[in-house]
Amino acid sequence: MNPKRADRIATVVFWSLSMTTLAALLVIIVRILSKGLLKALNPFFVFGKPEALKAGGGVLPMVVSTLYITVLTVVIAFPIALATAIYLAEYTRRESRLTRVIRLCIDTLASLPSIVFGLFGMSLFVIFLGWGYSLVAGAATLAVLSLPVIARSAEESIRSVPDTYREASYSLGASKWTTIRQVVLPSAFPGVITGTILAIGRIIGESAAVIYTAGLFVRKIPLNPLRTGAPLSAYIWYAQAEARIPDFRSVVDGGAALLLIIVLLVNFVARKLASYYREKKIAG
Amino acid sequence: MRVDGVSVQCGFELMEKLECRLGVHNLSVYYDDFKALENINLLIPCKRITAFIGPSGCGKSTLLRCFNRMNDLVPGSYVEGSIFFDGTDIFSDNYDVTELRRKVGMVFQKPNPFPKTVYENVAYGPKIAGIKKKAVLDEIVERSLKRAALWDEVKDKLHSSALRLSGGQQQRLCIARALAVEPEIILLDEPCSALDPIATQRIEDLLVELAEKYTIIIVTHNMQQAARISHFTAFMMIEEHGDPGRIIEFGETSYIFTNPDNEKTERYITGRFG
Repeated sequence: MNPKRADRIATVVFWSLSMTTLAALLVIIVRILSKGLLKALNPFFVFGKPEALKAGGGVLPMVVSTLYITVLTVVIAFPIALATAIYLAEYTRRESRLTRVIRLCIDTLASLPSIVFGLFGMSLFVIFLGWGYSLVAGAATLAVLSLPVIARSAEESIRSVPDTYREASYSLGASKWTTIRQVVLPSAFPGVITGTILAIGRIIGESAAVIYTAGLFVRKIPLNPLRTGAPLSAYIWYAQAEARIPDFRSVVDGGAALLLIIVLLVNFVARKLASYYREKKIAG
Repeated sequence: MRVDGVSVQCGFELMEKLECRLGVHNLSVYYDDFKALENINLLIPCKRITAFIGPSGCGKSTLLRCFNRMNDLVPGSYVEGSIFFDGTDIFSDNYDVTELRRKVGMVFQKPNPFPKTVYENVAYGPKIAGIKKKAVLDEIVERSLKRAALWDEVKDKLHSSALRLSGGQQQRLCIARALAVEPEIILLDEPCSALDPIATQRIEDLLVELAEKYTIIIVTHNMQQAARISHFTAFMMIEEHGDPGRIIEFGETSYIFTNPDNEKTERYITGRFG
């Protein structure tokens, strides 16, 4: 086979395989959105109260639960993840035994199935610490789940800050901490934020980890984080599997579409923010 | 004259007139098991330009990075011997490295401004040293940029990103940033190697001007550059790959380039090796 021909075949193969990926994605998105938008998604559904037995309930408390639990999760996970990332990237040698052990733990955590986090969260937060099914127990569980994801992406962002910046800072008499705070973190910031927002996308969509920790159904908007919540993702599972509402199909379709829209929005914002900061870095 | 095994070709009168506040004594530098420099002895004259020349890998940059202890950042590096700065060994246990680095500024091979504004770059050093008043900072920024011959080009874009400047401007900005902390000594590690000839010329002119107030040590690959701007030159070499770098000859630049003592120096500056 001559090189030109081989090249053409390679191009076609890669193109068609990537198109397959894209097509699969599109089918899922279009199906969820069309079913949801056509049948279920209307203001009464989005802003209405859920019903336990009748048809026609809404999901507002669930949407609020999702947003509430997401904010709580980030508040818990982000500082710990950032500190871990700083420690791994700036205070340890890449090859040292301790670093390797920590990194192995983080990678293992990141690849655990989320139901394991759910059961862990239930036994530790819900039962042992006695927090019950609550937003804070769900958030703590989601924090453990998202910690490795945020920490690893933040570590990579911090590592990708050129050493020449650090050298310049040290050469001006800066201490290590000053250098990290004033030079390294601001430069790593766009990457850290992007990684965090992508993790938020996963938190919003997570159901297995919250089913046993945060709760499945509430009638009122939860305000107290110590009370039971019902993240949208958990409620979708509940409506499909357990609830006794006659219109559960439409609730599930609408909920899925709403969840997808929220996640898409979050990803969109992540991209915008990242490119904004990249521009700003150059444009000043 | 010979200073601890290194021939100094400048004659007693000149060396005695010059003040030397920085002296290297029996310095060896190691990276783990590798000995990078061996038995370096050197006096750096105040308010003059001293150039380190020599073939690649001879330890010029390593030696330069000893003066502000930047080698501390390399894991596994350690030194034997001393560098005396105003009579105190900078490698002694309680020596304040932060303070040392404020007095001994550094400019790197590739321009490395922070991804911040021009103003923030220059104000960085004074700010971390605790200066907070805006009026004071404004004044320091203006003075430093003027000294680095950059003020006229950037005075209208102080608050735009430093990364938008040209390579030559960025390098002068790095010089301004180093000047802003009021150092006494400025170390330059091949500061022109990433620049075009015109930008190089501007930096060279600037260095000659700065030598009236500052002690300057420059590492350069470019022998013409050393000959053009430096007052003193140290020629360094390694015998074979894996050997430590040594100073072969140190003296007034005009002597080193016209009438070197050592045959190796002569061969190097006439371009017969290295």
